[in-house]
Amino acid sequence: MSNQGQQQVDVTTLDLNQLIEVKRQLEQELQHLTSSFGQLKGAQAKFKACIESVESVKPENEGKTTLIPLTSSLYVPGKLADLENVIVDVGTGYYVEKSTKDAIKMYKEKVEFVTKNLETLQETIVRKQDNLQTVNEISRVKAIQQREAALKAQA
Amino acid sequence: MSLEAAVSSFQQLQNSLQTVVEARQRLDSQLSENEQVKKEFSRLTPNNQIYKLIGPVLVKQDQVDAKTNVDKRIEFINDEIKRVEAQLRDISEKMEKKKVEIVQLQTKAQQTTQVPTS
Repeated sequence: MSNQGQQQVDVTTLDLNQLIEVKRQLEQELQHLTSSFGQLKGAQAKFKACIESVESVKPENEGKTTLIPLTSSLYVPGKLADLENVIVDVGTGYYVEKSTKDAIKMYKEKVEFVTKNLETLQETIVRKQDNLQTVNEISRVKAIQQREAALKAQA
Repeated sequence: MSLEAAVSSFQQLQNSLQTVVEARQRLDSQLSENEQVKKEFSRLTPNNQIYKLIGPVLVKQDQVDAKTNVDKRIEFINDEIKRVEAQLRDISEKMEKKKVEIVQLQTKAQQTTQVPTS
């Protein structure tokens, strides 16, 4: 996608079959982009949920029992031993012990990072949709022209 | 070479291009994940304990070890990217050549079928 600028083609010079091909390609790209958008949205929601979870690890909750999930359907009661630190997954199998404050800060940054990416992705999607619409429009015009030319040839 | 053979080898090239492109994309996401980890590590203070997930258990790890490990991984991935890029170029070149070959075979086939009719 990096060489998009180099392959600029004037769509009005293409014939109908080529336009259909371009349209198909655009639709494919659009589908890929929207699915990425959904995935990013999911990641964003996950990080936000993490912030909420970390926020519940606070001194006020000392001594209260929580239920620890051993499996998705089996829980055992437990008490929080360390209310200051949490262990955070930073990716590729590494985990870091952080203070809750730092962990929240990190998650907030992650949410921001994802949000920024979502915005750029949104822009790209809108642009692609515009492109698709233009291609649709032109192929319709071309189809009409072709039909008219065929009629004229018959007459 | 016959036209059919040329087309089938072109399709084969297309398939291998597909797999190489996928590999390239995988490497890209691995690289960005590792860079993310590197960034996270660079902001740690010496009293942040690092753990590594080995199977189902978290194992304590030295910060220096973890950092060099991630650096090494990034280096390795970058080398892999270079290798895959070279492969991509190679396959594209071959495809380009095949395309020319196919076009030539096609025009030849057309000429031979046109001769009896005209």
